[in-house]
Amino acid sequence: MTRYVIRRILWLLLVLLVVSFITFSLMHLVPGGPWDREKQLAPQVVEALNRKYGLDKPFFVQYGNFLIGLLHGDLGISYSFQNRSVTQILMQGLPITATLGITAFIAAILIGISLGMAAALKQNSWIDYVSVMFSTIFASIPGFVLAILLMVVFSVLLHWLPTGGWGSVSQIIMPAFALGALPAAFIARITRASTLEVMRQDYVRTARSKGLLERVVLIRHILRNSLIPVVTIAGPEFANLVTGSVIVETIFSIPGIGRLFVQGIFARDYGLIMGSVLFYAFVIAIANMVVDILYGVIDPRIVYN
Amino acid sequence: MRRKSIILSLLAILMTASLVLTSACTQGTKGTGEQILRVNLAGEPAQIDPNQASWAAEKSVITQVFVGLLGFNQDLSLRADVATVIPTIANEGISADGLTYTFTLRTNVTWSDDKKVTASDFVYSIKRELNPDLACAYASFYFDIVGAEAYFSATDKTDAEKTALENAVGVSAPDDETLQIKLNDPLPTFLDLMALWPVYPLREDIITQYGDSWTDPPNYIGDGPYLLTEWVHLDHMTFKPNPNYWGTKPNLAEIDFKMIADANAALAAYYNGELDISGVPVGTEKATMTNAVLSPEILRYNDLTTFAFQFNVTKPPFDNKLVRQALSCAVDRQTLIDIRGGVGKVALSWIPPGMPGYDATLGAEYAFNVTKAKELLDQAGYSDVSQLPEIKFSYSDTAGNRTIAQFLQAQMQQNLGINITLDPQESKSFQQYINAGKHMWAWFGWGADYPDPDNWLPQLFGTGAGNNHTLYSNPTFDALAAVALKELDNTTRLQDWADAQKLVMDDAPIVTMFYRERFLLVKPWVKGLKTTGMDGQVAGDMFYNEVYIAK
Repeated sequence: MTRYVIRRILWLLLVLLVVSFITFSLMHLVPGGPWDREKQLAPQVVEALNRKYGLDKPFFVQYGNFLIGLLHGDLGISYSFQNRSVTQILMQGLPITATLGITAFIAAILIGISLGMAAALKQNSWIDYVSVMFSTIFASIPGFVLAILLMVVFSVLLHWLPTGGWGSVSQIIMPAFALGALPAAFIARITRASTLEVMRQDYVRTARSKGLLERVVLIRHILRNSLIPVVTIAGPEFANLVTGSVIVETIFSIPGIGRLFVQGIFARDYGLIMGSVLFYAFVIAIANMVVDILYGVIDPRIVYN
Repeated sequence: MRRKSIILSLLAILMTASLVLTSACTQGTKGTGEQILRVNLAGEPAQIDPNQASWAAEKSVITQVFVGLLGFNQDLSLRADVATVIPTIANEGISADGLTYTFTLRTNVTWSDDKKVTASDFVYSIKRELNPDLACAYASFYFDIVGAEAYFSATDKTDAEKTALENAVGVSAPDDETLQIKLNDPLPTFLDLMALWPVYPLREDIITQYGDSWTDPPNYIGDGPYLLTEWVHLDHMTFKPNPNYWGTKPNLAEIDFKMIADANAALAAYYNGELDISGVPVGTEKATMTNAVLSPEILRYNDLTTFAFQFNVTKPPFDNKLVRQALSCAVDRQTLIDIRGGVGKVALSWIPPGMPGYDATLGAEYAFNVTKAKELLDQAGYSDVSQLPEIKFSYSDTAGNRTIAQFLQAQMQQNLGINITLDPQESKSFQQYINAGKHMWAWFGWGADYPDPDNWLPQLFGTGAGNNHTLYSNPTFDALAAVALKELDNTTRLQDWADAQKLVMDDAPIVTMFYRERFLLVKPWVKGLKTTGMDGQVAGDMFYNEVYIAK
């Protein structure tokens, strides 16, 4: 197991290196640079800016400098938030996006699994229908529509919640719901399907017939086994939620990193793009690794060597 | 992408509709009565260092915290702020040859930490603006100062050489109340440049002590009516009155700049009483005007910005003046204004109303006239439009620009039977494409840096000029511009620029379309708002010291 984890971590480093090189090359290949503006800057100004940010150096020297900086935990200076380091900008946005993402994730897991389980256990009852309806509706509404609808209802009509911003509990409710609704719907459907399948397995019948309490059958045999597909999608979903949603963060004016990434791309803010992409790659790779390890914990039949 | 924008606009309509239904019961006519103004800055300013700033949001912040030697009145005439008077040749502030400017400073001007503002604070700021290592976007505006361009271009030099060049810059402070600036050539608009933010006074001790973090409160020391007390990145900024302000004290107890990037969300925040001033989503202007509750809260005013279609005059068929004139005649500008909900004014000439040099009589001969357009095409040898090379129209792909491009395509098809290809591009790619002169025909706009024709003509239409993307070249224009740029007699100078603009309009390297108009909602309790054609990101930002909240 330890050897497996170490091997995965070494792979992770390689993946990050490849990702950084591809991103760095793409960034420089895309037409338009950070200083291209509608009102063009004087050529002397562009030259001074290139010099200031090291963009006058050859491509591989720039990439090398980036890697050296990275080893020191320095992602360089942002161009779109001048005079601030990319590390500092990301570290300011990260806790906010992570708080929002984790809230949305927990909500999605709790709502999704309980709805899915309830629907499966009471198949073809009204609970099942409500659950299926919920998951169909929220799986079909795009995040930005849901976000605006929530805002119209809870801020503009009812005046219960502020339209956006960050800092209080009331400001997290709508964005967390807008963000968590789709994964909740998704998890509910997967849980329902996999629970229905597990319930028909021989070992469940065996467990019942040997006289185990229904509660024990439910938790030890059904729940545990039906969660494997859920864990599979929960990993990427977690990574997805924690890296932030551009749309939800923009609509609710949340100062998270989802907005930064897109802003970075539009501004050709090379430092910010590199920082965000590497961060995303890191979170996604770690989430996948955790999922693989969790398989072993949930299902002892899965062994790594 | 297109489907998404349709959904978005449907949503905007849905939202406006729901607002109409609910507004009657949710709208109050009175605010809280607290002297707090809440406006939307939309995005995080890139930075708020006056020397380095160049965007509208940055300007809106800096204007609250700093006051320069000179400033602008609401009619955009110059006003002496930290200077006692506007220098003229008559009051000996400008030498007879127009090369030396002497500013006398008021003696009562203080920084927010109560230190005195002296001429050396201006010397420091101007030299810092020109520092090659800082690479300030507006540095080139000040290249007429003696030694300025040499210092700014010294990127490759050693520190000792840079220091020598810095010391050679023609800016000095003979005493605490006198600032002297020497120019290479006479520059009639130099006083306008001295009223802009890049040369507001700065504190050398603070910047040396705090480095890049000098712009974080409470280090952000200014000499203006407000102090920046809080900056939560990507969220909001809070301003409070500067207790040591030397001028008339502001009425407001607080200004909040929120950073709501989404236009629908900003409107919702306005409805929910979180904003006192807000824009409306693109395309909902008409619905807003017919809304009984919202229509009295609409504020519209002209901006010094003109939008136009620019030809690349080196590419056929646009190397033919007659073709350019013909296409100018073939576009019904009023229809576009109607499509845009009536916002904006038809533009038949380049310099917008509200600027010196605006000429209402100009351009009428190339106004909408299909018959004339066809005649001009005949003369150009294109009586059969199928003989025209394929025409491609490029634009930065935004919702607003897409409407404009489709409008142009329809106009060309309906009025002349010409098919044009649309070429939407991502914003930065588009800008590089234009800057490299690869386009054939493209959409563009120009906003005033300062209210003078010399900011509107030579940089755009001079041969080889930095922002000349039509690649237009006319020796007569160049000769006129060369004289006008240095002409100290204002009447002669404006006449030269008028002639120059007329030349441009006749040669038609651009099809002027409309002058921008700002369209905003303002809560009825916001009083004393004074807007100008040169406001930054937020409306009326140049006069927030006069705004108050009605009880």
